[in-house]
Amino acid sequence: MIRLLKSEYLKTRRRFVFLTAIVMTLAMLAWTFHGSFKGDTLRLGWMLLLYQMPLANTVFMSLLSMIVASRLCDLEHRGAMVRKLASAIDKGKIYDAKLLYGLAVVLFAVVFSWAATIALGYYKGFWAPFPMKLYLFYLLFTAAPTVVIYILQHTLSICVKNQTVSFFTGALGAFGGMFALYLQNLPWLRRILIWGWYGALQFVGLWGWTKESRYADAYFEIMPFDWILFGVLIAAGAAIYILGRAWFKRKEF
Amino acid sequence: MTETVKTYGLTKRYGDVLSVSNLSMSVKEERIYGFLGPNGAGKSTTLKMLLDLARPTAGAIDIFGRRLSGRTRNEILKDIGSLIESPSFYGHLTGEENLRILQTVLDVPRENIEKVLSIVRLDKQRGKKVSAYSLGMKQRLGLAGALLSMPKLLILDEPTNGLDPAGIQEIRELIHSLPEKYGMTVIVSSHLLPEIDRLADDVGIIANGKMMYQGPLNSLHEMDHSKSLEEIFLDLTGKEQSL
Repeated sequence: MIRLLKSEYLKTRRRFVFLTAIVMTLAMLAWTFHGSFKGDTLRLGWMLLLYQMPLANTVFMSLLSMIVASRLCDLEHRGAMVRKLASAIDKGKIYDAKLLYGLAVVLFAVVFSWAATIALGYYKGFWAPFPMKLYLFYLLFTAAPTVVIYILQHTLSICVKNQTVSFFTGALGAFGGMFALYLQNLPWLRRILIWGWYGALQFVGLWGWTKESRYADAYFEIMPFDWILFGVLIAAGAAIYILGRAWFKRKEF
Repeated sequence: MTETVKTYGLTKRYGDVLSVSNLSMSVKEERIYGFLGPNGAGKSTTLKMLLDLARPTAGAIDIFGRRLSGRTRNEILKDIGSLIESPSFYGHLTGEENLRILQTVLDVPRENIEKVLSIVRLDKQRGKKVSAYSLGMKQRLGLAGALLSMPKLLILDEPTNGLDPAGIQEIRELIHSLPEKYGMTVIVSSHLLPEIDRLADDVGIIANGKMMYQGPLNSLHEMDHSKSLEEIFLDLTGKEQSL
């Protein structure tokens, strides 16, 4: 497996996959931190980010997963290298190595965005104590849906030569997930869409916010963690992996 | 003489289309086996089944005396080099970088890259991006990739496609030297009769998925002295089939 991972690294020369992840993460941070933080938002800053970031992740991490998986798999389809590799080594290992390499890229983006969010919070002057424990849960609840979405995107990209299929699935999923977050009266919608899980696992709620007073009377409350949904997410990830790997192994070239 | 490849009633069906029908193929060790047939006869499908790139609908395959199955495939495939349909490559990388990736995946010595680049005479173009290669150069790179592990069995599907006459001659001489020089068994498919005539020791002629003739090339010549080899081939494959 080490040899295959090394080969994945060699293949991505001049493909700028990590740079793509950094650029997408920076775009997400720019979107989150645009505008000025002052007064109440500096007081509530850490909790405000925990409240807002799931929406940004729904769009940016979903699209990043789609882009990374597509870039990594498309190079195998273009020159028919997937056929060459499948005639020499175990197809399951091809699927696994590429999945692991892609996961490393998107998880790097997740950790990078997490660390940069904290750094930017301090830079902006958030003065409330930093809630480390909540941020660690936030990291977990960001990484887990990203992994599941990436496994799905990877499976589509490696099994279906035409990358339009993976592109439309990823784009529609990302915007469907975002749409589901805005529909507060339909909470089940975000639970049935894997792209909605960033929001469904959100554990910070905002109360007291109005257009007039904005954050003056607003307060955040920690809601119970949805461990059942987290369990469903892990099971879905495992199921997509098992079915996706079997699909690729059965493919003829 | 030991048989490197033997198939038993090999059949492949795609929906209603019978691509390969009850094919029994026998390839002897350290010989060049010419697999000849018109376009669409089932050559590539058969070769893909030997490489486990396509699953037979029926029948069985023995390679190196072992039955090809899910359990044995990886052990068997590591001793096979192949070039199927068109050469495979990463266009954004150089020829040498492409071989470096294959060398890493196949876990073979790095010196083999130099060796095969020199064998296919691509050493001067090693630093050029493959997307800028001509079709002939891509074909040579594909051949280099197939030779990289110095396999016991080499499967080449139309290896001279896209090559100029000098290149065809060069590749033909190279393939010809492989059994003696490296102890390889070679299966070469082609739809060009003169190509196989100059290259093969044994020949298998396939038409409409069925094996029409199999045996030494000399015996084919001797089948009917009043006819040219081309006429014998057309008799076997049916005159309506293109060469």
